[in-house]
Amino acid sequence: MADLRINLAGIESPNPYWLASAPPTNSGYQVQRAFEAGWGGAVWKTLGEPIINTTARFAAVGFNGKKVAGFNNIELITDRPLEVNLKEIYETKKRFPNHAIIASLMVEPNREKWHEIVKRVEDVGVDGLELNFGCPHGMAERGMGAASGQQPDLVEAQTMWVKEAAKTPVIVKLTPNITDITVTARAAVQGGADAISMINTINSLAGVDIDTWNTIPHVAGKGAHGGYCGPAVKPIALNMVAECARNPHINVPISGIGGISAWRDAVEFMLMGAGGVQVCTAAMHHGFSIVEDMIDGLSNYLDEKGISSVQEIIGKSVERYSDWGNLDLNYRIVARINNDVCINCNKCHIACEDTSHQCIDMLTDPNGQKYLEVREDDCVGCNLCSIVCPEDGAIDMIELPQEQPPMTWNERQAVLAGYKDNEREAAK
Amino acid sequence: MSASQEYFEEKEKIDFLFYRGFRVTRVTENLDGAAVEFERTGAAGQEKEVLHLQTADARKYFSSILFHQQRNLTPAE
Ligand SMILES: Cc1cc2nc3c(=O)[nH]c(=O)nc-3n(C[C@H](O)[C@H](O)[C@H](O)COP(=O)(O)O)c2cc1C
Ligand code: SF4
Ligand code: SF4
Repeated sequence: MADLRINLAGIESPNPYWLASAPPTNSGYQVQRAFEAGWGGAVWKTLGEPIINTTARFAAVGFNGKKVAGFNNIELITDRPLEVNLKEIYETKKRFPNHAIIASLMVEPNREKWHEIVKRVEDVGVDGLELNFGCPHGMAERGMGAASGQQPDLVEAQTMWVKEAAKTPVIVKLTPNITDITVTARAAVQGGADAISMINTINSLAGVDIDTWNTIPHVAGKGAHGGYCGPAVKPIALNMVAECARNPHINVPISGIGGISAWRDAVEFMLMGAGGVQVCTAAMHHGFSIVEDMIDGLSNYLDEKGISSVQEIIGKSVERYSDWGNLDLNYRIVARINNDVCINCNKCHIACEDTSHQCIDMLTDPNGQKYLEVREDDCVGCNLCSIVCPEDGAIDMIELPQEQPPMTWNERQAVLAGYKDNEREAAK
Repeated sequence: MSASQEYFEEKEKIDFLFYRGFRVTRVTENLDGAAVEFERTGAAGQEKEVLHLQTADARKYFSSILFHQQRNLTPAE
């Protein structure tokens, strides 16, 4: 069986699955049960000056029969006194010395306040710290969380203050509510972060009740924006992880978070550069026991591939992620319909005819049977027909032999520049 | 006319000019596509032709040829 242990910036855990800082890690009772179920680590519910929460707090966005495609919350950080949390962290660590416990922290952007909380949590034996620069609601209105996480100078300064006092590894948790996450990631690295984690939740309004006209959720008839997470945010999180992983100035480990609900998601994040993953919504939706399948699936995947340690897959897809300008314009794929599998639902024809390149012909065979065929010369290989097709294997996207050797857009523009002297002169 | 048919027609014009010894001297890309100027020096002196290429595939095709001509002329490093 493959070795699932990870070491993220010096923080060791028996597997790459950590619970993210959120309701599942609110108390010692919960984290201990999670460790019993198999979770490798837990980032404790963010510690700071205890807050007061509202009811209601959560809302789900369903899609096509899936109850929780996305999840929205307006919950703040812990509402329990620091002393109580620290006592439970100490007890949990004593019972599970080989599991990772990371304390998530959030205080005002003030050096002394950071020094004070770092010292107090490290005294009870946490394995690392995670700075919550990402909570997008409530705390941000008080100048903390995403409000300070959106300003690179504040990210850098606060990371530096924490590093002045910290003895354990410091992870900076970044907000996705920013145009370019590599800017704040670089600020964290400049401040001395040992690792970064992403993403926290995305600003959102889950919905509006069209009968009562209230927001969803609402608190006595009023709403405020919340944070979005769950399966719907995975592509956004994965891109942010990948952008950081491929940036040469961001050379610290990454803890991947956002929409991870199965072992395959974890593998994708790790291939794209994450040294481990964190999970919140999936645990809230299905309970701690989902980690069993996540461990089995990952283990089988590694065994089947003949990989002895999960750490070997970290970053293996990063070099395959680039800028659009570096993609080969001469690479060609086309759709091919397998008529023995096709159920003649016509969805692909409608999609191509109405919204793509009108190249799926409806033909009649000698027996009078209707069938569909792609005119490959006109097919642009957009994938749309295979996306809408309900039958597995009815449409294959086939690679065609290249008529011209590879050429990227950047290469094209570089060569054409030599033929555009007149344009350059005109621009002078 | 299908998109591929439009491309084949433009490609044929490009191939024919190259076949007759023309080379590209100037390319102007604008909102309507690419104006590609070809020249050759023949028995009749300097000859010039201009193709206004509209299809994406033809604009890709002629630039691929230029790119690979240039690449083949560049000595291996
Ligand atoms: C109800 C709720 C409360 C959360 N509270 C915190 C928190 O206190 N600190 C924090 O850093 N992130 C908090 N988060 C964000 C999660 O840690 C995580 O970054 C986010 O949910 C994305 O992961 P997921 O898609 O697996 O849920 C919270 C998320 C939810 C849903
Ligand atoms: S890949 Fe796109 S263009 Fe080709 S047949 Fe399918 S929908 Fe049409
Ligand atoms: S969408 Fe799939 S099953 Fe339906 S007609 Fe097209 S190929 Fe056949």
